Amino acid sequence: MIFRAVEDGDLIRQAARGGVEAFNLLVSRWEKRVYNYLLRLTGNREDALDLTQDVFLKAYQNLRKLENPARFAPWMYRIAHNEAYSMFRKRRPETALDDLPPESAEDGIAVGGRSVFPMELSLSVTAALRRLSPEQREAVTLKIYQGFKFEEMAEILGCPVSTVKSRVYSALDLLKAELAPLRRGVS
Amino acid sequence: MSCSPFDLKEYFLRELNQTDGSRVEAHLKNCANCRQEMERLRLTEAALCSLGEEEIPQRIAFVSDQVFEPSPLRRWWGGFWGSSARLGFAAAAMLSGAILISAFTRPAPVPVVTLRAPQSTQASAQSFSGAELDRRIRQAAAVEAAKAVDQAESAHLAETRELREELKKARFDLLNVAAEYDRDTRRAGAIKVAALGYEFPKSNAAGESK
Repeated sequence: MIFRAVEDGDLIRQAARGGVEAFNLLVSRWEKRVYNYLLRLTGNREDALDLTQDVFLKAYQNLRKLENPARFAPWMYRIAHNEAYSMFRKRRPETALDDLPPESAEDGIAVGGRSVFPMELSLSVTAALRRLSPEQREAVTLKIYQGFKFEEMAEILGCPVSTVKSRVYSALDLLKAELAPLRRGVS
Repeated sequence: MSCSPFDLKEYFLRELNQTDGSRVEAHLKNCANCRQEMERLRLTEAALCSLGEEEIPQRIAFVSDQVFEPSPLRRWWGGFWGSSARLGFAAAAMLSGAILISAFTRPAPVPVVTLRAPQSTQASAQSFSGAELDRRIRQAAAVEAAKAVDQAESAHLAETRELREELKKARFDLLNVAAEYDRDTRRAGAIKVAALGYEFPKSNAAGESK
């Protein structure tokens, strides 16, 4: 997660001084990843896009609070996580946090239509991800798809590293049982 | 159950440092079970990565618009609370201010009575024994302390006397004012009584009508 850290750091410093162009460059570097993270979290393209917009707006307005530019990614994903859960709470305030966000489980995410892998495998992966708890799914998204370290994930999710590890490991065990035999068959 | 020196998942997820990673790699060369477990993890990851990322349907861009920009006050406030250096400087400035205010407003220090041994004691100190020297110093200190107490008492007495004189004068003035007030009140009362008791001469209505 530290690739181009120096360049990002310069852009962050310029943006913090009000440089809109510098911030636009930062957005162009990160928008796809943040959008896909929110898409896996919400399971809805429109919501993911709206939330992505909100995340970058909040990031821009609060950029001066970011003391260490090297922590930009976890800091911004923390905003994204909070924005998504805030939206879930607004929509269904009576729902317990443990059950959030179930949208992806219900609607499904048709991600990666241009995959080079067989369609059956993509469908199986989507189905396997749906069977995870929302916390496990988010942990897998941050670790496997976004490549964060456990420590950064703890910062994003606001929980101890041990909890993060437990979520990733239990999710991996479930996914391994379902996906490893399939992938072996394909290869 | 893995027999690896470190958690295979931690190694697989690239969370181990280089040294620990090398130990796991060495172990994997000799352990078929762990190799198999690593293979399963790699296959799982490959399957997961079969789901690529979507392109964002609409690019996000900000323009130089005041609407998007935080207000200068919010920017300054955010920057202030977000910077521990600035907070530290502000705290130091406040502390310095408090010290300065305290220095300028605290009451004057109480004069310290310095106890000095008499010159003669200093001059002949070497010829006395320790106990004698100690006794003389105590005696001299007691004399000086008594003098200081006398001075303080006499100063206090003089001050009290002055205050008493001032009080007497104020009381005398007050009595004068009260007496004057009494005189005026009595005079006003007499005038009032006279006014009430005044009888107008009876008018001769018939004569007037003529």
